[in-house]
Amino acid sequence: MKILAITACPTGVAHTYMAAEALEKAAKEKEIEIKVETQGSVGVENELTQEDIEEAKAIIIAADTKVDRGRFAGKPILSVAVGDAIKAPAELIEEALEEAKNFKGGQDVYSEVANKKAERRSQRTGPYKHLMNGVSRMIPFVVAGGLSIALAFAFGGIHGEGALAGALMDIGGGAAFALMVPILAGFIASSIADRPGLAPGMIGGMLAVQIEAGFLGGIIAGFLAGYITKWLKDNIKLPATLQGLMPVLILPLLSSLAVGLLMIFVIGPPVQSIMHSLENWLQGMTGTNRVLLGIILGAMMAFDMGGPVNKAAYAFGVGLLGSEIYAPMAAIMAAGMTPPLGLFLATVIAPKKFDLQQKEAGKAAGVLGISFITEGAIPFAAADPFRVIPSIMAGSAVAGGLSMLFNVSLRAPHGGIFVLAIPGAVSGLLMYTLSIIAGTVVTALLITSLKSK
Amino acid sequence: MKISNLLAPDFINLDLNSTDKESVLEELVHILDDANKITSKEEFYKVILAREELSTTGVGNQVAIPHGKSSVVKEASLVFGRSDKGIDFGSFDEKPAKLFFMIAVPEGSSDEHLKVLAQLSRKLMHEDFRNALLKAKDTESLLKVIKDNE
Repeated sequence: MKILAITACPTGVAHTYMAAEALEKAAKEKEIEIKVETQGSVGVENELTQEDIEEAKAIIIAADTKVDRGRFAGKPILSVAVGDAIKAPAELIEEALEEAKNFKGGQDVYSEVANKKAERRSQRTGPYKHLMNGVSRMIPFVVAGGLSIALAFAFGGIHGEGALAGALMDIGGGAAFALMVPILAGFIASSIADRPGLAPGMIGGMLAVQIEAGFLGGIIAGFLAGYITKWLKDNIKLPATLQGLMPVLILPLLSSLAVGLLMIFVIGPPVQSIMHSLENWLQGMTGTNRVLLGIILGAMMAFDMGGPVNKAAYAFGVGLLGSEIYAPMAAIMAAGMTPPLGLFLATVIAPKKFDLQQKEAGKAAGVLGISFITEGAIPFAAADPFRVIPSIMAGSAVAGGLSMLFNVSLRAPHGGIFVLAIPGAVSGLLMYTLSIIAGTVVTALLITSLKSK
Repeated sequence: MKISNLLAPDFINLDLNSTDKESVLEELVHILDDANKITSKEEFYKVILAREELSTTGVGNQVAIPHGKSSVVKEASLVFGRSDKGIDFGSFDEKPAKLFFMIAVPEGSSDEHLKVLAQLSRKLMHEDFRNALLKAKDTESLLKVIKDNE
């Protein structure tokens, strides 16, 4: 019997450790094994490992600050104030054990997928981590913006006419989409340089929008802002009495000026022309090239099921939404849905080739597939990578290629089949459905024929 | 580094005069100011109060650990005060507090100091340590209690 705990408090000098000690002491009296991670101002100490989490029966989070719960997906979590752990640690442990007893853990496959996602998130490092921090913060803006614009067209026709349509356009295009690139840049920068990175990042991102350097410009602005701010933070030494001026005057001013001037005079013009030619190329693309792009993006989506290659393709599609190019996004979502859907179909048409557990996993994969959670294919790919990965890549390439061929466009960056119900979100709904079904069938047929048993 | 390195005799007051929360906080801040560990008494008092407003630092078992992190703090410091009558501190267990550790930490304090304070916080959860602190007759024996527990 092992339980885990995290303690954290606003200043991180006292309560964090008192709570940790109290829990350790109480657990010892009860002869229960406990490991407590402290998130104080010295940083994280006694960090919980993936292994600890797997072994744990329950997790206690005693914190007055925000603690990331992503790593504990599929585990019973008891969340309380840090004071509660100091006040009544023994009762808290009892409660956690009670929670663990009543915890149903959901279906294993769902929690396995959630764990996998959390694990991957924690493994991200360096520039990739920074980029994904920006992309994930940007997504809600793209969802709100893309779907508002879609609704504007649904209510106001192709030109979005009428008061309601106009308002929806203002919400989507005028506000949400206008914020998208600044948010992307701002959160890339704050992933690198913490809080001081946000302002120069967002300012750089805004400039990228204004000089029409698009999401590429935004990404560059974000990294520039992050590394410049970090450098300034590490290298400007002020006497203690003037320290207070760093975050409120010196850092924002110097970093924003540096990023802004670089964006306008150095980075902006070449990126603007790259962005323009990318947009022109994508818009002017003819049959063969369109299909080829769809195939490549599709295969990328399936290759590592939510890993860096998948995310690169995904980020590309989302970024283009800001330039009002909607076809690649459609191909990408279709291709991201078919791997789990295809595996689900395979377990249905050839039940003899899968054991009971995998058939259960197949049902879960079906649900995850319609929700555009490519990671749903991971349990299968992990068990049999050399048959599963080529099959799902082929299926996704078919889905992506067809979606591009039919010129389907998608205005939302996520949502699976649920987004298809929103009027105007997808153009070419019938053809889109057909593309997804074709990809699913190809995946399923390949897997069942490759699996000998 | 050890707790006793942070706690010189000048920072110990075994007979606090105050009878309520606000005045005891002021009294403890005063000790820091007298020892020239903070650049602004008023400012640091505000920081301490702001922390109390977030949630009381009276952690129960007669212990309170008011603390603040601020740029007006010159170096990490620790003050110990004791009130044998006890002071109503709005503690978790609603009982008066007798043992007060005020912790002052500068912005960007070194990890070494913070680790010492973490160690002290952990110690305070143990009854025998608290009892020894309550019983110490004078500054010298109090310091001995702390040294013995390091």
